[in-house]
Amino acid sequence: MGLIAREVEGHGIPTVALSVLAGATAKTPAPRNVVVRFRLGQVLGEPGAVVQQRRVLWDALGAFALIAQPGGVIELSYRWKRSTYVDPLEPGSGVS
Amino acid sequence: MSLRRAWHRLLSSWYTRAHWWATLYARWGLVPVGGAVVPWAAPRVPFHHGRIALVTAAGVHPRSAPPFDMENPRGDASFREIRGDVAASQLMITHDYYDHAAADLDVNTVFPLERLRELALLGVRVAPRHFGFMGHVLGAERERLTRETAPEVARRLVADGVTHAVFTPG
Repeated sequence: MGLIAREVEGHGIPTVALSVLAGATAKTPAPRNVVVRFRLGQVLGEPGAVVQQRRVLWDALGAFALIAQPGGVIELSYRWKRSTYVDPLEPGSGVS
Repeated sequence: MSLRRAWHRLLSSWYTRAHWWATLYARWGLVPVGGAVVPWAAPRVPFHHGRIALVTAAGVHPRSAPPFDMENPRGDASFREIRGDVAASQLMITHDYYDHAAADLDVNTVFPLERLRELALLGVRVAPRHFGFMGHVLGAERERLTRETAPEVARRLVADGVTHAVFTPG
């Protein structure tokens, strides 16, 4: 995935890549990388967990402003069901 | 289904659950590719004013499109276009190298197109086309990816006026 992201970035489009395997990200980093400690095959979260998925996507998009170096990595602090997910669409979430 | 495909599915079902094994493999088994130079393009607009595309390596494709080739041990470097307004029920996954049972229930777990559409309420614009790859490519297929298919997707994203691209794995 890092290879494709690099190609797209090379065409002038900023990219961010989500990952559940920090080790894989370190081997071939995309220009911007967001690691989530979730399960393989569920990088956005659980099936049907709309708020969780929306929050992770929103935070991944936020990495466009947070990562300033090529190959930079941020790790989201979420821990699956143990975390609370604030819906970016919720009034008062600090977003909308 | 061939014996080889059945074996890969069994294996992927195991290591999808045994996250520690996948973590160790990623750390010690994977070989770096693509060189040390990582390209960089500064965003021209904030993402919440941008046109955003999704690119996934999770094997997502429209049901109407041909499935990815699971018989080639080197994988399949081709891609599938996914319309921005497609119904999630019209998408499916062909990928034997991770257990996509959860994503079969809700494709947004690996390809959050419905979640991206919802963010339109905050100003985000959804690109007209998104792209699905099957993220297991080796040898000649990796060459094809870097020489042909990845540049072609990049050109299509440029043609669509995409300002930001989000990549998701399987």
